[in-house]
Amino acid sequence: MKIPYNWVREFVELSLSPEAAADRLVNAGIEVASVTRVAPAGLSGIVVGEIEAIERELGESQGHRLVLCRVSTGRERFSVICGAPNAAVGVRAAFAPPGATLPGAAAGETRRIAVARIRGVESQGMLCSERELGLGDEHERGILTLAQDAPLGADLVAHLGLDDSVLDVEITPNRPDCLSVVGVARELAALTGAPLRAPEIAVKESGEPVSDLARVRIDAPDLCARYTVRVISDVRVGPSPAWMAARLRAVGLRPISNVVDVTNYVLWELGHPLHAFDHATVRASTIVVRRGRVGESFRTLDGQDRELADSMCVIADPERAIGLAGVMGGANTEVSDATTRVLLESAWFDPATTRRTARALGLRTDAAYRFERGADIEALVAANDRAAQLVAELAGGSVARGLLDVYPRPRPRPRVRLRMSRVGRVLGIAPPRADARRILVGLGLPVEDRGEDLEVDVPSFRRDLAVEDDLVEEIIRVWGYDKIPSTLVPTTVQLVERPERVRQADVVRRALAAAGLSEAVGWTFTDAPHAAALPTSAEPLALVNPLSQDAAFLRDHPLAGVLSAIALNLRRQHASVRLFEIARTYERRDGGTAEPRWAALAVSGQRGEPAWYRAVESVDVYDAKGLAEHALATLGLAATVGMGGTLSGFEDDCHGALVAADGTVLAEFGEISARVRAAFDVEAPVFAAVVSLDAALEAARTPGRASAGLGDSSSGTFRYEPLPRYPAVQRDVAFVIEAGSAATAARIESAMRELAGALLRGLTPFDVFRFPDGRRSLAWRLTFQAEDRTLTDEEINAIQERVARGVSERFHVAWRGV
Amino acid sequence: MGHPRVDAILEGARGAAVAARSAAELEEVRIRFLGRQGELTQLLRSLGALSPAERPLVGAAANEAKRELEALLESRLAEARETERTQARREQRLDLTLPGRRPRLGAIHPLTRVHDEIVTIFAGLGFSLAEGPEIETDYYNFEALNIPADHPARDMQDTFYLPGGLLLRTHTSPVQVRTMLAKRPPVRIVVPGRVHRRDIPDATHSPVFHQVEGLAVDRHVTMADLKGTLELFAREMFGARSRIRFRPSFFPFTEPSAEVDVLCFLCGGDGCRVCKQSGWLEILGSGMVHPRVLANVGYDTEAFTGWAFGMGIERIAMLKYGVDDIRLFYENDLRFLAQFA
Repeated sequence: MKIPYNWVREFVELSLSPEAAADRLVNAGIEVASVTRVAPAGLSGIVVGEIEAIERELGESQGHRLVLCRVSTGRERFSVICGAPNAAVGVRAAFAPPGATLPGAAAGETRRIAVARIRGVESQGMLCSERELGLGDEHERGILTLAQDAPLGADLVAHLGLDDSVLDVEITPNRPDCLSVVGVARELAALTGAPLRAPEIAVKESGEPVSDLARVRIDAPDLCARYTVRVISDVRVGPSPAWMAARLRAVGLRPISNVVDVTNYVLWELGHPLHAFDHATVRASTIVVRRGRVGESFRTLDGQDRELADSMCVIADPERAIGLAGVMGGANTEVSDATTRVLLESAWFDPATTRRTARALGLRTDAAYRFERGADIEALVAANDRAAQLVAELAGGSVARGLLDVYPRPRPRPRVRLRMSRVGRVLGIAPPRADARRILVGLGLPVEDRGEDLEVDVPSFRRDLAVEDDLVEEIIRVWGYDKIPSTLVPTTVQLVERPERVRQADVVRRALAAAGLSEAVGWTFTDAPHAAALPTSAEPLALVNPLSQDAAFLRDHPLAGVLSAIALNLRRQHASVRLFEIARTYERRDGGTAEPRWAALAVSGQRGEPAWYRAVESVDVYDAKGLAEHALATLGLAATVGMGGTLSGFEDDCHGALVAADGTVLAEFGEISARVRAAFDVEAPVFAAVVSLDAALEAARTPGRASAGLGDSSSGTFRYEPLPRYPAVQRDVAFVIEAGSAATAARIESAMRELAGALLRGLTPFDVFRFPDGRRSLAWRLTFQAEDRTLTDEEINAIQERVARGVSERFHVAWRGV
Repeated sequence: MGHPRVDAILEGARGAAVAARSAAELEEVRIRFLGRQGELTQLLRSLGALSPAERPLVGAAANEAKRELEALLESRLAEARETERTQARREQRLDLTLPGRRPRLGAIHPLTRVHDEIVTIFAGLGFSLAEGPEIETDYYNFEALNIPADHPARDMQDTFYLPGGLLLRTHTSPVQVRTMLAKRPPVRIVVPGRVHRRDIPDATHSPVFHQVEGLAVDRHVTMADLKGTLELFAREMFGARSRIRFRPSFFPFTEPSAEVDVLCFLCGGDGCRVCKQSGWLEILGSGMVHPRVLANVGYDTEAFTGWAFGMGIERIAMLKYGVDDIRLFYENDLRFLAQFA
């Protein structure tokens, strides 16, 4: 909210610079985003001039009639060429004599006015438009004209009140009392000790009593707690004087007409929203405050037709709606140039209702902003008086005697007691009681002494002060947060806990990063095409109010994040992409929602960056599988390969699962399907794996489910086995498998384990070779070891023979012998 | 002790051994003197032809000479081999300027790095880690935290809604409520996690971001304690010379509330582009837990006081690492990530 500093100084005497005042406010919790000069940078030497005569016509230029004017500044006369359509004899306007400067085209530049020659004629300066002065956008209508009584030769900046600074304050939702010039002045008065001078309000009433001119009825007292009306007759609607227009522009409001501008001016000055109706259009001169009716609609001032609802508060006359209470007036009762009698509303509307109505209709107005934060129910009479006074001053007319005030249930005055002991208990420090008292009084709060305690009679403008600690905050924010000392109060010593799932995710994260994968952090959201490409058994959760359609769903597939990241990096020409994400997905489950946790990884392109010491190789599905096994291994989990993966996204013929002994799927891996790659706009093959951190955690907790012999570095559970005392013996066996055979490495291995018996300690496939005709050769290295003796060649040869023969018979594969 | 005949041979052998330039030449020397037909061997074989008186003298001298020569040859051979090896290595010298065989280094995401740093600092100060769901109810996210429906304070946290009255949490504070409902004081937790606000993405806003929240509730907990704790945190996080300042602010769930600024660690407080010439960087919001929040979880507000703070991980990461666009964290461009390996 923009607050002109000179305006503030009308209400409190301050010797501070605008910047110093801003600092005080910031240190008391009123954020000041900026302090800016009102006058545009570079504007200097502009004065009020009058066109005394038009001396010559100079023809046309770009569709404008050029004339040579004689301009007087009172002391001097200038010959000035002007092309403005509104340049006429007798007009007073903004004049830049030679030597004056105007804001330049770019920020920080200035444009110096010099004597110039146009079509051979000398022009001594320039009559300026709003745009040329940097004061507004108006240019086509011509030069900035001023009131006929504007003093000739006066400095324009001073004349328009532009020699001021504007504080752009950001008021937190708890402080609606600061949403006005007087509110900020009250705060500065409290902070500096200077007295607050309330605005002098003196309404000159005359003629009929207001009760003869208007009636008010509140049918919805729960939505409108108070409604006041003043009536001003015989007004002449017209433009506001330059000083008021300039002030409104300085705070970012557009001047409209003297009557409307007065309501805006008072809103800014006192913080209370007002509305002016054209009295003649209010049927039966009667205001009815009621709920909206189903099916009822009316047009607001902005020209939009609005559907009303029972939950809304409506200002009506006996026949129709004429205003949306606290939000916006109606077009049917708008003040126009033809208006001669004005009905001024100053009322108090329920914050929650106002907020709901404004949001439902997408209308964020200055009025609604204040009502929804809580307006001052006791200041609204002063606001109405102030507005009536200004309307009478600026638009003529007479204020009817009296004020209609419907206030069915006056607000109770809450009292809040503050124990000085509480101040210290909350803050760790407390000012002397007398200082605390002075601070509260300075804030405009009536304070009474209650023994050691203080009791505040909370005024209507501080609705935010409801509990004792609210007063603690008032005291410390004025006394100064820098007075709070730094201490470290010893607390009860407790064990610092770190949930197991956090430790687990961390171990997997370190392991995958150490394995050369980079960690990605993915987006929570996904769009319909990507969700469709990666379907899950769960119903996707759709946002009620997404920011855009490409972020309308919560991701329910663990690969959504890494695949997006893979796609981006491939697009950006990375030859080798290896990424993982510790991710949550979101789904409905058992009537509620669940957020399963995953380690998702994907690899594409070359296995490593090209290097002098190795050939360039492309990643394949075994990279993905190996990384999943690696992740599980760091958690102490060994798993066997099974089919039965249920996640979508993989090629049907290249999709496996890593399962625990009891069949629980711990991880899935495979090649990303062409369809999914197309959805993510990826051409290169991508291999991916997903470890279910939830399943892995469950498996690690269940004894016997995880394979023995592996420690879990996340929980730190390791078990020592004695080192073997006798040497190990190794033998190699190889088989040739026909193309199309059902024999797989895993099946052969499991047969070998069974055939070899207890002396087999290790089994490693070390060579795979594919013949041109489709046959495969698979070779294993078998390691044998006994705990109690050195094994003999005879014994091992016999086992090797038994294994090799057994396998070749069972699977019809040829033993190649080694 | 020598013998002229032996000395003559030994002299010649010494000279030859010293003159030999390679292992092969040394072998030739060995054969010439110690080989089957070698001069010294011949001499020893011919001892029988000597007089019994001369035989032991010559024999002893010859054996002595043989031992000496063998030792000499051995040491010369070692020297020659070393010379040859050095020579050979020199000829095949490895180009050590070629890059080494490096294992690949994966990067830990910068948000994780900052998260870990923060959590570790507070673990050292006795704060346990707590987590909670990202899909929340209105009660935990707002109501219990003293943010009633239709309150303008809700504008501070524009919310994504899900069907069935659910929402994406707008801050990690619901975990405060969940933790306090589950446990009696003392409570000392940090809560890291992902949060969502309905902000249009730009260089400094992301609808997805991360927070770390802290909460301490006990007897005799004061705002001075909050200040002291955050001062320690700032010194750990931003350097030993860090200073902080408290500014009054408003959060519905704390009273009094404070914004906390840290002295700009880029310019040391002199004013720079990053701190917008103010010398201070806003890093977190904090305050004393509102008595209504404590009452909502059934804590005795006379017996217990508490404080809480919350900071954005992205904000801290941007300041610490000089990242100028928040969207970079979620793009996962390897050129960005690799800078944090």
